Amino acid sequence: MGRGFQVLLAATLVAGLLAAWARIRADRDANDVPTHLRHLGWTLALALLTVSFLATLSVTFAPYGARAWMVVVAVAVVLTFRPWLAPRLVPAGLILLGVAGLVLARVYAYKIAGSESVIPGGAPVAANRGTGQYLLLAQAYMFVFLGGWLAWHSGDLVLAKGRRLLGQVSLLAARAQFRALLILPVALMAAELCIPGGFHSAVPVGAWFLMFLAAATIVLRCWPSTAARLAVTGVLFLGLSGVVLAITFQVGTAPSQYGPFVLADRGSPALIVGEALVLLGLGAWLVPQTFQSARWLLGLPPDLELTRQVQQLTESRAVVVDTAASDLRRLERDLHDGAQARLVAVGMSLRAAERLIPVNPDAALALVAEARETSARALTELRELVRGVHPPVLADRGLADAVRALALDSPLAVHTQIDLPGRVPAPVETACYFAMAELLTNAAKHSGARDARIEVRHSDGRLRIEVTDFGLGRADPAAGSGLAGVEKRLAAFDGIMAISSPAGGPTIVVLEVPCALSSPKTSTY
Amino acid sequence: MRVVVAEDLYLLRDGLVRLLEAHGLEIADAVGDAPSLVRALLAERPDVAVVDVRLPPTFTDDGLRAAIEARRAVPGLPVLVLSQYVEQLYARELLADKAGGVGYLLKDRVFNDDQFVDAVRSVAAGGTVMDPEVVTKLLGRQARQETLGRLSGRERDVLELMAEGRSNSAIAQRLFVSEKAVSKHSTSIFAKLDLPPSDDDNRRVLAVLAYLNG
Repeated sequence: MGRGFQVLLAATLVAGLLAAWARIRADRDANDVPTHLRHLGWTLALALLTVSFLATLSVTFAPYGARAWMVVVAVAVVLTFRPWLAPRLVPAGLILLGVAGLVLARVYAYKIAGSESVIPGGAPVAANRGTGQYLLLAQAYMFVFLGGWLAWHSGDLVLAKGRRLLGQVSLLAARAQFRALLILPVALMAAELCIPGGFHSAVPVGAWFLMFLAAATIVLRCWPSTAARLAVTGVLFLGLSGVVLAITFQVGTAPSQYGPFVLADRGSPALIVGEALVLLGLGAWLVPQTFQSARWLLGLPPDLELTRQVQQLTESRAVVVDTAASDLRRLERDLHDGAQARLVAVGMSLRAAERLIPVNPDAALALVAEARETSARALTELRELVRGVHPPVLADRGLADAVRALALDSPLAVHTQIDLPGRVPAPVETACYFAMAELLTNAAKHSGARDARIEVRHSDGRLRIEVTDFGLGRADPAAGSGLAGVEKRLAAFDGIMAISSPAGGPTIVVLEVPCALSSPKTSTY
Repeated sequence: MRVVVAEDLYLLRDGLVRLLEAHGLEIADAVGDAPSLVRALLAERPDVAVVDVRLPPTFTDDGLRAAIEARRAVPGLPVLVLSQYVEQLYARELLADKAGGVGYLLKDRVFNDDQFVDAVRSVAAGGTVMDPEVVTKLLGRQARQETLGRLSGRERDVLELMAEGRSNSAIAQRLFVSEKAVSKHSTSIFAKLDLPPSDDDNRRVLAVLAYLNG
């Protein structure tokens, strides 16, 4: 690996760290603690990722350096432009990297055992014997667990704000998927055990890897909870088998006779025992979380996530009830002070006019005209009130046209892109409408933008709304009650909100609400 | 002049019928729901229809959709749509066929019966009448501020009244100026907005609305 290349990598790392530090400072200025923490997590991950790449590149596969560098750059670009993807990308990337490391460590080991050949395109094997393999294994495990830890904690932070982790809104499902990610190393190790003769040539490794990756992906997509259980069982099984193997090894004969598991290449049984113990511990920790009946058998309290979900539901219900009550109070007050009072005035004017007609017809006429004007004002007020309760276009046409009407009414030039093949359930429709109205009002008032864009679409059982304004950015959910209110109201529907608003803009607010569409009503006369 | 009235609330329908009759218009039919409105429009071929947006059977925008559908069958069939609220979206849909003979007003405008009946007559004559509330919103849009900023205050007033669908003489009366002054203003407005000048009131209104809607 050339020195220039190393310098380039180091520069990338420093630039990445500086950019992340700038973001963290900006967030700290905005007092946004969760974002602040999240960014810290990313910076850490990014730094580790880069350092590990540097380390790995210098030791083993220099020819892959260019590709690795490209990955780092891609990750940095994604983190900069789509920061909300980071909590998903970084842990997933780390776990994948770890898994790849596990595979490599084993391929590497067999290569050493097999011959004095080289890793395809890599440095001479002999030179790397010794620490290289341990380094790779240790690093691989560190990545898997760090990735898991980050997924868990970024999941907490993000999901506390209601965001998705790995494609599921529900916290439980997200965790199940995270656990299921463990099935990858398990599947790989299982493959190792199954192949007669072990990985002696490089070609089957790739093929098996891809096959198991595909199988694991399918299981993950289709049966996430089954995948989680399989993974946990697999981890336990592997741990046990590792212990057994270590013991056999201790009493065994020539190392190379142990077929696929060429134990001599592991260096020492201590490594196997260590690995096995880690796996056993992990399995033991995951079992009660994955198997509900195990929790019960072990006498543990019920699932923490369920408890948390119940608490979250209680909170969001309280907000809904509270909002509904205060909305009704406001409505009552507006009616009482507005339209009702004006109608009383109309009645009084008319009564006075009645008395005046025989005496002073001109004065009576003036009073009647006044009554008419007052009733017009009452109508205007009622109209405004109705808009605030349930916008007429929403009732008439549904969300798509209501958003178009909203866009037309906004002082900003708003471009809409709406793809709704059916009608959104009425309560969700109303909540989303008012959320968008609030966001547009905010944009018009504070952002200094002239243009905005609204995208609405429905896919995978979720309504996704993206409101972008091309203004100054730095929208702060903590500053006013507006954004926080939007989030709280959406929470009642398990909806979530995410904001990206760097200084200099644009401000992008993403809303997601799980819901099903009903078939559209179409009729002609 | 023969009018078809569509309004589902009996009191309001009756009130509209009496108001129009008092001003010498003939009521061809007064209906209470969208399907009968379409039937009446196609059977009676009135000079103008006064239609409430919200009608049975679905109590949403049935009146509007029925009116648009009838205009598709009979292009240019004059329709004045009344509503408790005005929406730019609906205004656009009504103006979309560019055939004229369209009106869109708040129901409260009925309070001023002379102006309301003027609007009915103007629509019947193929004119376009827009509620001031729609026009205010159109003029308030950011996208047009740059060009609209070039207009003088008086020119803006004239543009506003023009967009509402008023004739030169009506604008002159409203602003207490001579008709000649109004036409001078309108020439200047059209020049500033890069619109082709036109002497025809109806075409002028449509051009202004198309510009503001664009």
